[in-house]
Parts: sequence; structure tokens; C-alpha cells
Amino acid sequence: MALAQQVQLQRDPGARADLVRRVTGSPALRLVGRRLLTAIPVLLGVTLLTFVVMNLIPGNPARLILGINATPGQIAQVDHQLGLDHPFWDRYWIWLDGLLHGDLGIAYSNRQSVNSDLAQFLPTTCWLLLYALVVSLGLGIGVAMLAARKPNGLADRLSLAVSMLGLSVAPYVLALVLIWVFAVKIQWFPAISNSLGSNPLTAIRALTLPAASIGFPLFAIYSRLLRADIVEQMQREDYIVTAKAKGLKPWRVLVVHATRNSMFTLITLVALNLGTLIGAVAIIEPIFSLPGIGAELISAININDLPLVEGIVVVFALVTVAGNLIADLMYAVLDPRIRYGRSAS
Amino acid sequence: MAARLPDMTTLLAPGAQPLPSLLSARRLKNQKLARTLRFWVPAGLLIALFFMCFIWPHIYSIPPGNTGSILAAQEPPFSPGHWLGTDPDGVDIFSMLVYGGQVAFEVGFSVTAIGMVIGGLIGLAAGYFGGWADSILSRLIDVLIAFPALVLVLAVAEVLQPSEIHLIWALSVFSVPAFSRVTRGSTLVVREQPYIVAARLSGTSSWRIILKHVLPNVIPGIVTFSLLGIGVVVILEGAVDFLGLGIQQPEPSWGAMIAKGQTVLTAQPEYVLIPSIVLLIFVMSLNLFGDALRERWGVR
Amino acid sequence: MSNALLEVEDLRVAFAAGGREVRAVDGVSYQVDPGKTLAIIGESGSGKTVGCRAIMGLLPDNTAVSGSARLRGSELIGLSDAELRKHRGQDMAMVFQDPARSLNPTMKIGSQITEAVRAHRKVDRKEARAQAVELLRLVRIPAPERRFSEYPHQLSGGMRQRVMIAIALACRPKLLIADEATTALDVTTQAQIMELLLELQAELDMALILISHDLGLAASYADEVVVMYAGKIVEQAQAKRLFGTGGTVRMRYTRALLDAIPHLDRTAHTELPVVTGRPPDPTALPVGCSFAPRCPSAADDCLAKSPVLAEHAPGHSWACWHPCEKGTEA
Repeated sequence: MALAQQVQLQRDPGARADLVRRVTGSPALRLVGRRLLTAIPVLLGVTLLTFVVMNLIPGNPARLILGINATPGQIAQVDHQLGLDHPFWDRYWIWLDGLLHGDLGIAYSNRQSVNSDLAQFLPTTCWLLLYALVVSLGLGIGVAMLAARKPNGLADRLSLAVSMLGLSVAPYVLALVLIWVFAVKIQWFPAISNSLGSNPLTAIRALTLPAASIGFPLFAIYSRLLRADIVEQMQREDYIVTAKAKGLKPWRVLVVHATRNSMFTLITLVALNLGTLIGAVAIIEPIFSLPGIGAELISAININDLPLVEGIVVVFALVTVAGNLIADLMYAVLDPRIRYGRSAS
Repeated sequence: MAARLPDMTTLLAPGAQPLPSLLSARRLKNQKLARTLRFWVPAGLLIALFFMCFIWPHIYSIPPGNTGSILAAQEPPFSPGHWLGTDPDGVDIFSMLVYGGQVAFEVGFSVTAIGMVIGGLIGLAAGYFGGWADSILSRLIDVLIAFPALVLVLAVAEVLQPSEIHLIWALSVFSVPAFSRVTRGSTLVVREQPYIVAARLSGTSSWRIILKHVLPNVIPGIVTFSLLGIGVVVILEGAVDFLGLGIQQPEPSWGAMIAKGQTVLTAQPEYVLIPSIVLLIFVMSLNLFGDALRERWGVR
Repeated sequence: MSNALLEVEDLRVAFAAGGREVRAVDGVSYQVDPGKTLAIIGESGSGKTVGCRAIMGLLPDNTAVSGSARLRGSELIGLSDAELRKHRGQDMAMVFQDPARSLNPTMKIGSQITEAVRAHRKVDRKEARAQAVELLRLVRIPAPERRFSEYPHQLSGGMRQRVMIAIALACRPKLLIADEATTALDVTTQAQIMELLLELQAELDMALILISHDLGLAASYADEVVVMYAGKIVEQAQAKRLFGTGGTVRMRYTRALLDAIPHLDRTAHTELPVVTGRPPDPTALPVGCSFAPRCPSAADDCLAKSPVLAEHAPGHSWACWHPCEKGTEA
């Protein structure tokens, strides 16, 4: 808002009311507001579900920690320490309260805060996901455009075959095959990376095979969907005929007109797939011994470290919800029909 | 853009000959053949796999898939009695494939069936009746979908003793919402069709409309989705087994085979490659068959 | 070689649908002189749109086109897409039926016009913008600078169609094809757009092809009329010869079309003589006259042999074995 407008607002309460009206009247902002509101119960539900699932464990965590020879007294003491003698809802409330304040509790195994654990391992996972996402999206869009240019042509058939492969292969299988080919046979990339190394180059070397394992199925989905959408636009939409009638070059029609309108589907898909993406790290990271939260989750499960598992699961779930929310928001922001609404003419 | 025709000068004369035919009989036949192949090749592969896993063991006895003698360890393929060889523990590889395949089929199909039936009903109801029931159900579904599937399954595996049945329940927790969402979406679209509106207006009972009109139109989309779904479930189940949190050793599963083979990947990649290829064939056939069905039924 | 702007000779278009060949356009010939208006009238499926799209090269890949279409002497049929693109938008342009769907919903109006300008002219963005605003003014859109930055859904139907016209005229083509350009609009807007088209035609000295199912439109605005049925021309003449005083319509189909138009001075409460039946299945055209199954005056020879389009009277061709009597008022 211009400075002049701001000053005007100060002076004129009527103008302020007017601004409020303009903001609440803006269809895009209203959409955003609505989505945020509906996201809240989902977020709460997610936290509750996590807590419920994790607390259904038969057997007492205190006993698990102390071992078989623990006396009832010791168990009771640890119970009290861990706050396990409170009723269920109290415990949930305490945990949720901590959650809202950003405190995810203390891990059983190493008595450190779950937060610090996460902070240690989250960056690696983030880099991995970013790498996988960027490459799969970039390649996916490029291949989709090439394929859509001439439906049922050579590029199209090839890309469909490759996508089919990507859709059918399991990420862990792909990871192992990639290791065998690239790490064992031709030794371009390491099979195991305990850390990302000190500089971007070592990081990229360490992350390439894992990112490819996650990214290849993603690339398959994106390129296939985008190609289908673009072809549909090109063949069924009238504005494409108008564009051609102007005498535009085919590439321009494809890129500027058709692809632009297909982006909506793609964005929704990317955001919706965030959940699958994150799930995949839980398998891929252990294979490559990457120090990320996926690997941490698996090891936490294996040692029955409840708070740690809870904390990681909640983070995963929250990110997925956030992804869906962002998809909705981006839709609202990008589609001019939503952004500007109708105006009388 | 129009096709260039061979000799235009002869066609320029007014009242001239008819256009050369666009459709050569050969091209049409090729197209039909391709379409038939696209349907029957994956279907055939699936049937073959099914046969291998469920029928073959009854016809011809195979060694057990969960035990083996150390004496027979690491036999190469085509050895007598072990046509795919044995693994480092002496367990017959082909048997492991067969029994692991049984698990894959069972888990894949049951989870999908549960999802289709329960999720489908929920989705139909939510989509058709709408209202506050729809809102609440949709929120619930959103919550379940918000969980990354694998993580949820792992969490459940952590809680329950890992076994095939528990795995099926755990995976159903994420297949039911997925199906209900898809069904709901389809139902919403079909619901607004003019003939449905007409039926509603004529006072036909809701459930009758749903069963007679909505369901038949929703089913093709659901079935093609479910074929994809089976593949996803099988891969997911494999992942859980791979991590050691699903089907427990020594019971065989493809995922566990791959995990075991991981340790000797450098020297003997075949222990990883053989189950991987079978898994790939299974899932790819499902996907291809789903595509062919979609083509045949004209689902978008 | 005449000085006609567009000469179409024996144009034929076919495509494959469901395993059978469809003859969408089956030997069509006509001419458009510079600055004149030709109306191509027909039902849906008559081939009127397909023919013009074939000339523009806007048909999908699985169509086959033969015949000749010469624009200012240069042959268009058989050109590669790259060569046709030079003519599209620059020498000939098209306005389509549904402006709501024919404009890119996610692109500003102004950009869609400047794109048309810059497709053929080397101008920088400022100049293109200026030209676009000028074009908006030309099609009588108020407040063109503001409209430039708006999106299609913010405009009314009539305005959108004006924008389509602006896009079509971006490079001042000599031929404008209006494919059912007013069909999707309400009656008042229809009249406005038609008036606009005529004014622009005079201002820019353009030839106009009006494609429509509305014979009344042809009567009001066209210099020459071509009536199509099932891919063929069934009647072709100057508008004056067909309509108005002393005009005659010969082919039975055209007659039926005319009779089906409600007139104010018809006797009230009498049945409207509509044309019964439906256009023939293009994959299974009948032997003989295509209109015979629906023609009230069909005779045996109509069903047996297809009539040939011939100039039975000066400047007036028709294809009918038993045409209407001369002197029947149109």
C-alpha cells in the first residue's frame, strides 16, 4: 500500500472500514482464510491420531527402558518421571501444549530433547528432498513438453515407456540397482554417505543416488500427468485454435498457452505428493546411511523410542498438511479467475 | 495442419476423383492389434504370476520357502531341485518367490478390496448426501490422508506385532481414505448429471438412485484406480518387509528377500535382482492393465 | 487469373472417425473479391467451418485436404505449417464462435493482442502495447488502457468478441473469416457486432467471409451467398438474386431454410414449416441427392442420382433436379 494511502487510513476511520471491506471482499484472501480455518481441525486431528497410535503400545515404556529385571518400584519411579501415570487425555494435553510451544519432548534413548535431534537431522533430509523435487520437476516439465509437442511421436512413446517404468519401480529397489550400477560397477557416486561433507560438491555427490531413487518415480508421475494435461489443452481447448490462428509458432503455443494452463494441475499434484515424498525418505535414507530424519525414524522405531517416533511422525504429518494448504493457496494466487473475481463491465 | 496428398494436380480438376482413402486397412488392423496386445499381455502376465504363486505349488511340490539346509547354500541357478538356486542360507529362491508372491497377492488384493468396499461406500454416501456428514467425513479422511502412508504403517507396525493380518489392517487405514476420496469425487460429478437430477426430482429413493445410476458410472473409475492401488500397496508392503517391520523372518516375502540380498549386493547382485524383477513385472503389469482397462472403458 | 482475393477450387476435406472416412467437405468452389462479403450458410455438419479451417490450416493432423485455395494468387493447400503460419494472422484471420472459450483465461487481454501483433511485426513492447490499445479503440471498447490489463472473465460476452476481432485485425489482414461469430451472443449484441464488422470492413478494405446457419444474416449483410449441405454447395448466387424483390431461391433446401424463418407478417397460429429430419450421417451419405430424404418435393430421380452444381442462370448456380419455380418470392 502506498504511503499516501497509509497516511490517509490513519486520518480517516471510514477509509479503514473500507479497506477491511476490500480485504474481506477479495475473493482470493477469503479463500485463503477459509482454507486456513479448515486446516486447523485437520492439524489437530493429525496430532491426536499420532498420539493415540503411539500410546496404544502394549507394554510399559518404563519397563522397556529399565529392562526385564526392573522392580515395580523402579518402574513406578520412571513412570512418574516420564509422566506416564497421568490419564490419557492429560498426557495428550501436556504433549499438545508442548507441541504448540515447539517442544516435542525428551527422547527415551538419549535423554536429549527431540527438538535438538530433529534439528540435527532435518537439514540433510531437506536438502535431499529439495534436490529430488527440483530435478524431478525440471525434467518432468521438460519431458512433458517434448512429448506433448507431437502426441504418439517418438519422444512421446519413449517418455511414456520410461514413465511406466518409474511408476512401477519401488524406490528401494531402484536405490539398490543404482548403487550396484553407479557405486559398485562404475564408481561415480558413493553408496554410503555418513554426512553431506563440507562443500556443495561432496553434498551433491552424496545426495545424487538417493535423490534419483526418490525422484525417478516422481518424475514419472509429473511428466505423465503434465503431458496428458498439455495434450488435452492443445486438442480440446478453443483458445489454442485462436493462438494458432494468430500465426504463432507451435512451441510458443505449447509453452505460453497450453503449459501455462496445465501448471495448475501440476502444482496441486506436487503439493499432494509431498506426503509420499516424505514417506519415501524413511526407506531411502537408511539404505544410503544418510543422517536424515527418515533414518532417525527407523532407528527410533527399532529401539522403541516413543517420543522420538511421535515427534518425527508429527513433523511428517504437519508438513503434508502444509503441502496441501500451500497447493490450495497457490491455486488461488495463480488463477486470475479466483484472484480478480468478476467485475461488472 | 493437413496431410500432404501425393499428387494434387490430378485432383485439381473440378468434379474430380474421390480423395485417396485415409484409412488403410493395414493401419487399422495394426491399431487394433496394438490395443488387443496392450490388454492381454499384462493380463496374461498377471495370470501367469497368479498361477505360479497359487496353483503351481499344488501341482508340483517345491521346497519350503522358509527353511533350507546350509549344505545347499548359494547354489547357482539351474541346479537340480533348485531351478533358481538358493540363497546364502540354503533356502530355495524360487520357493521364496512363490510364497512371497502369495503374500504380495493376498495383501495387495485384500487391502484394495477393503478400501474399495468400505472406502467406496463412505465416498458414495459423502458425495451423494453431502451436508454435515460429508463435512465431517471429509475432515476425517483428510486427517488420515495427511499422514504419509509409509510412516503411518511403520507406526502401526511399531504398535502391533508385525504379521500379515496386521499389515493388511495397517495398510487399509490408508487405502480406505484414498478410495473414499476418489469415489466421493466421482460421485459429486455424476450426481450433477441431468438424468440423476431428473431421478431425484421424480422422487426415486436415494439409495435406489445410488445403486442403479450413480454406482455404475462411478465403478469404472474406481476399478482403474484400484489396479494402480494394488501396485502401490504391494510396493508399500515390500518396503515394510524390507525394513524388517512387516512379515517377519523366516517367513518369505519379496521385500525381505531384497533386504537380505542387500548385504551381498556387490558380489552377488542376483539375490536382489531376481525378486526386484518379479516385483517390477507384477506392478508394471498391474499398471499397464489398468491403463488398458481405462482405454477400453473410456475413463478419463 | 482474376483479381479475386481468395479463390477456392474443388476443396475436399476428409478425416477418419471410428474407423470410417468422413467427407466433411466434398468439392467446394467459390471466390471472394477484395472488400466484399461472402456468406457461407449451412447446418452444423454441413462442412462450412471445416472448409475455412482447412484454408487457414487449423485442422487437426489426421485430416486430408485436397483441392486449391489461392490467396492473392498463392496456393495455400499443401503448404507446410511453417509457410502457412506466415499467412495466418497476417493475410487472413479468423474470429471464432465462443469468445469465452476462445480467449486464454489466464492471460491478460492486452498480452493476447500484443502477441498477435508481434507474431508478424518486429516491434518492441511499448510499440506493441500502443498498437494493442489502438486496436481496442478500433473495436469500440471504452477505456482501452484499462481493459488492456484485464482478464477475459472480467469482460462481458460482447466485449470479449470485440477483443477477438481486435486480435484478428492486429496485422490488418485483407481477409477476415467470422465463424459463427455472433451465434453465442444475445440478439442485441449480435447486431452490434455485425455493425462493427461492417464498419471495420469498410475502414480497412477487408473481405469478409461470414459463416453461419442464419440465412437472415446472409440476407442482411452479404454480397454473395453460398449454401452448403452435407459437404457440398447446393446453391450459390449473389445475395440480390436470392433475396429481396425479384429474388428467387431455387434449391429446395435453401427454400426450406427461408420458409422456416418466422416472419412478422405470417398468419398467426399457423404451423411453422420446419425442415424435418436431421442432416445425414457423414460416414454413410445416401446415393443421390443428400437432401432428398428430407425434401418435401423429392422424386425418384432425386434419390437415384446426385445433382451437380451448375450455373443454370447467370450468376446463380444450384444443384437440384426439381428446383423451385422461378418467381417464387423469397
